[in-house]
Amino acid sequence: MPKLIIDNQEIDVQPGTKVIDAAEQLGIMIPRFCYHPALGSVGACRVCAVKFLQGPFKGVQMSCMIDAKDGMVVSTTDEEAVDFRKYVIEWLMLHHPHDCPVCDEGGHCLLQDMTVAGGHGLRRYQGKKRTHHDQHLGPLVQHEMNRCIQCYRCSRFYQKFSGYRDLGVLQIGERVYFGRYQAGTLESPFSGNLIDICPTGVYTDKPSRFIGRRWDYERTPSLCINCSLGCHTVVSTRYREIVRQEARFSEAVNGHFICDRGRYGFFYASQEKRPRYAQINGNEVSWEKSIQTARDQLNRISQESGPGAVASVGSVRSSLETQAALSRLCQKKGWQGPVYWIDHGQEMNVKTAAAELADELAVSLRDVEQADYILAVGADPVNEAPMLVLALRQAQRMGAKVCFLDPRPIGLPFSFQHISVAPQAMDLILAHLLKETIDQDTIKGLEPHEKKIFDAIPNNSHLVSSNQKLLNAVANDIRLSQRLVIVCGTDVVSETIPERAAYFARLLAKMGKQVGLFYLLPGANAFGAALLSDDAPTFGRILDEIEAGLVRALVLVENDPYGYYPDRPRLERVLQQLDLLLVMDYLDVRTIQDADVFLPTLTLYEAGGFFVNQEGRIQKASIAYQGGHPISQFSNGNHPPRSFRNQIPGKEAQPAWQALIELANENSATPKQGVRADILAWLVKTHPLFSKLPPDNAFPSDGIRINPGKDIHFRSAADRLVVPTLASESADQMELITVDWTFGTEELSTRSPHLRKMESKPCVFMHSNDAAQLDISEGDKVAVRSDTGIVSIHVTITDNMAPGVLIIPRHQRLDWQHLGASKITVSKDQIRKIREEEPC
Amino acid sequence: MTTLENREALRSIRSSFEARLRDSKKKLISLCAGSGCGAYGTAKVYDTLMEQLAEHNLENEVEVKLSGCHGFCEKGPIMVIHPEGIFYPQLKEKHIPDIVENTIKNGDLVKKLIFKDPATKKKITYEKDVPFYKLQQRVIFGNNGIIDPTRIEDYFSVGGYAALEKALFDMSPKEIIDEVKKSGLRGRGGGGFPAGRKWETCAKHHGDRYVICNADEGDPGAYMDRSLLEGNPHSVLEGMIVGAIAVGSNEGYVYVRHEYPLAVTNFSQALESARKYGLLGKNILGTGFDFDIHISRGGGAFVCGESTALMASLEGKPGRPRAKYIHTVEKGFRNNPSMLNNVETWANVPVIINKGSEWYASIGTEGSKGTKIFSLVGKVMNTGLVEVPMGTTLRTIIFDIGGGILKKKKFKAVQTGGPSGGCIPEEFLDLGVDFDELTKVGSMMGSGGMIVMDQDTCMVDVARYFIEFLQDESCGQCNPCREGLKQMLDVLTRICHGHGREGDLELLEELSDMVANASLCGLGTSAPNPVMSNIRYFREEYETHIRDKKCPAGVCKPLFFYEIDQELCTGCTLCAKRCPEEIISGEQKAPHQLEQDKCIKCGICYEACMFDAVVVK
Repeated sequence: MPKLIIDNQEIDVQPGTKVIDAAEQLGIMIPRFCYHPALGSVGACRVCAVKFLQGPFKGVQMSCMIDAKDGMVVSTTDEEAVDFRKYVIEWLMLHHPHDCPVCDEGGHCLLQDMTVAGGHGLRRYQGKKRTHHDQHLGPLVQHEMNRCIQCYRCSRFYQKFSGYRDLGVLQIGERVYFGRYQAGTLESPFSGNLIDICPTGVYTDKPSRFIGRRWDYERTPSLCINCSLGCHTVVSTRYREIVRQEARFSEAVNGHFICDRGRYGFFYASQEKRPRYAQINGNEVSWEKSIQTARDQLNRISQESGPGAVASVGSVRSSLETQAALSRLCQKKGWQGPVYWIDHGQEMNVKTAAAELADELAVSLRDVEQADYILAVGADPVNEAPMLVLALRQAQRMGAKVCFLDPRPIGLPFSFQHISVAPQAMDLILAHLLKETIDQDTIKGLEPHEKKIFDAIPNNSHLVSSNQKLLNAVANDIRLSQRLVIVCGTDVVSETIPERAAYFARLLAKMGKQVGLFYLLPGANAFGAALLSDDAPTFGRILDEIEAGLVRALVLVENDPYGYYPDRPRLERVLQQLDLLLVMDYLDVRTIQDADVFLPTLTLYEAGGFFVNQEGRIQKASIAYQGGHPISQFSNGNHPPRSFRNQIPGKEAQPAWQALIELANENSATPKQGVRADILAWLVKTHPLFSKLPPDNAFPSDGIRINPGKDIHFRSAADRLVVPTLASESADQMELITVDWTFGTEELSTRSPHLRKMESKPCVFMHSNDAAQLDISEGDKVAVRSDTGIVSIHVTITDNMAPGVLIIPRHQRLDWQHLGASKITVSKDQIRKIREEEPC
Repeated sequence: MTTLENREALRSIRSSFEARLRDSKKKLISLCAGSGCGAYGTAKVYDTLMEQLAEHNLENEVEVKLSGCHGFCEKGPIMVIHPEGIFYPQLKEKHIPDIVENTIKNGDLVKKLIFKDPATKKKITYEKDVPFYKLQQRVIFGNNGIIDPTRIEDYFSVGGYAALEKALFDMSPKEIIDEVKKSGLRGRGGGGFPAGRKWETCAKHHGDRYVICNADEGDPGAYMDRSLLEGNPHSVLEGMIVGAIAVGSNEGYVYVRHEYPLAVTNFSQALESARKYGLLGKNILGTGFDFDIHISRGGGAFVCGESTALMASLEGKPGRPRAKYIHTVEKGFRNNPSMLNNVETWANVPVIINKGSEWYASIGTEGSKGTKIFSLVGKVMNTGLVEVPMGTTLRTIIFDIGGGILKKKKFKAVQTGGPSGGCIPEEFLDLGVDFDELTKVGSMMGSGGMIVMDQDTCMVDVARYFIEFLQDESCGQCNPCREGLKQMLDVLTRICHGHGREGDLELLEELSDMVANASLCGLGTSAPNPVMSNIRYFREEYETHIRDKKCPAGVCKPLFFYEIDQELCTGCTLCAKRCPEEIISGEQKAPHQLEQDKCIKCGICYEACMFDAVVVK
């Protein structure tokens, strides 16, 4: 451990630590523009100069370029170094416009800080400033190239770190320009990070442009709930409205960055259409009245038809508090549920994943970066969990190979192997890889039940032989790898895959490899839901029972089945049959129209809460603001209105768990204060895993990981693994799967007006072989007929996917909910080309 | 052409070609086809020569070779007729019949075509007697005039690939490195880093080692690397193979700029024939040693001559340097140990191996061994490529070999080391040129550019020119080079335009100091050299520009005017006739007048006047 002295203070640092970071550990912030811990050092800006007094380097040197070494004595305040930095800042300011008053960066601008701190005040240069044309970079990022100080952070992040190519540095010398070859929307789904890393105002946040200064905002640590990774964010609030979201550093999860879906996915919280008042039969009533009515009705139905006549559906986007409160309510009242998943297959996958994710296998997102081989099964990171792309990219930059086993057209900003087979065949291929990889010693040492699974893997099939070369190469790479991560999705995969992946991981670990298992789950708190959900009912069965008259009341907590249930006509019909439909939500969901009683709830920004991410990490989001109608929606965007009242308008809504507790109580006299403490106490009791939770005020920033480990067992599904399912072999049949997209499918982010501009039009992906057979060309419109309806959609043809598969995004602008199921098999005559004008 | 499978095969083919050259009874006409002569019209001369030879039925009695650069580019196209060594410079098509008729057929000289020494006005018949060549020691460049660069057989005939043979069969890698170390060879690309030490460090580090040749010759006016690659590609190639043997590399690259198409053609041809003979590729000469070379063409960015930028460019990335806290011999191209040497350095290697380090070290000075090729250009009589032992004085190079200053004007300064070098004034003319001496006087060796300046050169303008070049070629990565050089250019331009201010000189010095200290790579740290050395030796000229708003050399147009000296003017009318603006008037044989307000200061009258009557004021 090198020991060095910086400004008379001694410090031990890890070998390889740069002097600039060593100083930071001492609380000495050496000025920097180009240096960024995630992007490394290039030595472009020259502003981190310090004086080396003793040690292997002497004189004024760049602290970002030099590794801390034993015996170094460094001064950051030496006159020579101070003068040097001042000179450098003067150079940087030569061409920088004096537009701070109209620049959105003003107030949190590194250049502004350094200029003031460095003591540069008088401009000696009297010539004309260098100017550039700005580019339109899309709806998210504003470009103002004149402000550029050429630190190269943007190009390094965009190209080197992320792997996207459409933004970078052009030209040389003083003509350098950071932008795109042509103006246009940035292709990277991580473009918003340019705003965070730019030390000045070249890239600023477009949606929040001119809204306020950093010091006007209340900034609160929060979480992103737009996918299951649970990235850390900071939200900026002003006038009862989230106006901006930025990345918050997390050592374990997202590092320094977040994706655009997360960054701009918060607008649902201040949507004008957001329901803010309780309703009975569509009429606004008071919160208390709604609760009272709901409670009375539920009690009545419970008494009349037994508690089983009430069913509840929870949500994977609800906080752990809400999920726990719902569990408690159901247990207390004896109701059915809670059910969390509309699709039972997905439910099984998630629960298996949560059960299989043993502590010794679970790895964090940052751990993925350290892998030397990554096998991803049924995962499409860009569309399902974008930040995983950046983690994979870091691993790939360090030399890791990445292989995807997936039917979808996987798009990643780096090279990787892709075994594209139909969803039904994936388990077979995975099992084959397993068989090819595991060595004889390991097989001999297997427990009998594990051996049984191994022996059941069939020896060969035409699917294997048609991919033989690639599979051999992959198996060989896996054998050679030392630090391997298996990424496994839970959406398009068959039910055996999550378990097979875990089995594979366990066997590889037995071979002495360092193995990680990284599941992707549908929903920010799907892990919590898996822990808390009732295993008995399924959503399908509840619908059946409603139809049969056995279930008379349905409680929907922040879950909108219209968004997920694949047979809309049936759902509409069935919901009509209920005696009571109680809906709680903070979104303007379709079910509100059908609801007998509606209770508005709070978002995570207003209520805070715990969320368990896909690696079993419980993380906490703080309360960012008190809720209520945003002032901008009150006064036509003008200054706050001058009328005064006691209450914040639109602040009727309560956290969902609050409503659930009130429903559980016999009367409404419960004081609202202090119930959060109750719910936490309850949470600890709901599941033994939560007993480890530290107190609210001492909750670690990176959360704590709870993995079931060996002790907790959801269900034994090992028997299911014995025979891998084999794809149906008919050439006439096609598998149709519905999938997620980065933009356009996820419930929260599609409510962002800015992300809507990023959405591509809905389309069905088809392999070129299938398209040729069906005589379909790119852009044609086809009607896909299922047992329950017809979906008409444009075709995108690609070779980058499995043949014999149709892929349809669950796009919010597409009525895919006529397919009947999220995965179906269609014969080719069910796909028909239609002319544009022809009605579907 | 068959693959040479062992040492004996190489030896026998070499000696057969050596014998063929030695025993040839034929006359050999060597016609320079280098870039300089080529531009003067070698192709036409060659065609005429072949026609004439055919006409006289001499095709079979005479061998004609289109050779590489002979060096004396001022006098191109050059023809040398062997075995006598008759030297015919500045040929035109019309001269050829005479030469064929007289010299080739009858063995007589064509008197009017014989070289006349401009200094002594004496006629000189033989190449070896031409002062330009006489005072040189052409160790590296010598074979250029004898061989056809496109024929590997020609290279064999001058003992080619003997060094490869020796390195491969008689020496261990360590012995090769020791030999190079003992020779004292220093990198010819500019840095002057001891080559042997570089090789040794490279061999020490593990990984896929690469051998790279830097042929990204970017200095304005310098073309020695180009001429070597064009004129004797096999010598560079052989050097690289020896280097690869020494450090244990299996892959090499030649990074050559796009503007050198002939170099690329000739070197590609050399690679092709070396591969065919089995001197490159798998299992070289049956030893099991594999080595091959690829050519990579640069886009012509000056900064790509810098080692790390070159390697970035070679990897397909933008040519931007990185700080060299870890040297490229440890982690360079593709993060592997990489041994980068300049073209001329590589060409020195076979000589060292063949003749031994002792012999090599006997040439040159204490700290700089061997010979160095200089590209002698500017206001000097004999421009061209000059190869002299290290330590030869500037006076010898400029006045004896170079023939002195054009038009008998006064020597003012010589700029060495390319754009980042410094200007050396007259007082240092007796300086022995080597790495250390040049650095001492504020300049540098660089890759060997030497630009001679006469009394009509404005030193401020020279500094402005070089800074403009450098700031234009700055990669734009680090702040001091990008912004600082632009500031220096602004100040210099302002001075040249007559808007110089009190304090500008100090500002220039301050900026120079800061850019030199704060820049990331060699381009930036050496960029202020021309300004610093200039101010050091010609401070007064700067002050005159700033204080008096005068350019004594008559270059900065806003700062001078021409006047016709009424005493000296003879009224010859030459200036009036030549003036493009027709603003000089006067009777014949009477002093002329010039209309100041209409003068565009083109300098034509100044150049035209034979009586020095047009004067700069």
